[in-house]
Amino acid sequence: MLWKDKYELGVSIVDEQHKELFQRVDEFMRTLRSSASWDEKVLHVNETLEFMKGYVVEHFRDEEEYQQKIGYPGYEAHKKIHTDMVNYVLQVSAEYESSGFNEQLMQQFGGKLLAWLINHVAAEDQRIANYAIEQGVTGVDC
Amino acid sequence: MTASLYEPFLEATRNVFQLMLDLSDISDQPAEEFVCDDELDISIGVVGDLVGEVIYRFPHTTSLGMVNIMSGMEMSSVDDFVTSAISEIANIISGNVLTMLAGNNLNCDILPPALRKPNDSLEYTLRTACCISTSIGNVFLDIRLNQA
Ligand SMILES: [Fe+2]
Repeated sequence: MLWKDKYELGVSIVDEQHKELFQRVDEFMRTLRSSASWDEKVLHVNETLEFMKGYVVEHFRDEEEYQQKIGYPGYEAHKKIHTDMVNYVLQVSAEYESSGFNEQLMQQFGGKLLAWLINHVAAEDQRIANYAIEQGVTGVDC
Repeated sequence: MTASLYEPFLEATRNVFQLMLDLSDISDQPAEEFVCDDELDISIGVVGDLVGEVIYRFPHTTSLGMVNIMSGMEMSSVDDFVTSAISEIANIISGNVLTMLAGNNLNCDILPPALRKPNDSLEYTLRTACCISTSIGNVFLDIRLNQA
């Protein structure tokens, strides 16, 4: 998963977090997609999954705080998108654990996360940046 | 009405391919241009002012090309990971279409992506198909809707 400059919002703390998020998701995906057998890699998959999940929650919270700080009018709608994603992640994780770490569930989760995250950062989060530029508040960091 | 439905789908597909895959050379072709033996069919159900489904057909080479670009990893087969990533893209394109339709006072919702071939026994008054061609392959859209 490659970071692209066009994803940058121009808000350094959010941009740094997005880069970190891409790195953690990338690490999770490379483990998930490695050629090792599921038995061989499942422990490492679970580790990188946990490492990535914790960061998603932390980052969403910080980004929401930033939106509030600049008075972003789409805050409620954006927060709902975040909450829905967190709920989806929690639901899949619970199902994954109770299945005894079923590979198919994790492969499906990985694929959706990949497309979801790129669209979220490239489209939804850009609206925040557009607003900040319009309002001339790009200098406000969270 | 059929023509005005086709436009938002084309436009949304173009936007998503540009934004997520950095592919900008996208053109639409007559539906007859679509020839393919192995494909992934993703159906997105529509409810609200319009009712029915939109089927996105991705030839395997297109699906693999798309996921390669997104992940930066070489994918060799259309497995659970690839299918799920492509389903999410069909979901994202459809979501963007809904926003455009809502601007024209058509309020609809979409259902989660499902892997299935179309149900040919149903009749639709708004029926159109098109083939979207990109540098990594074609995508075929089959729109089957009725006004509620
Ligand atoms: Fe966000």
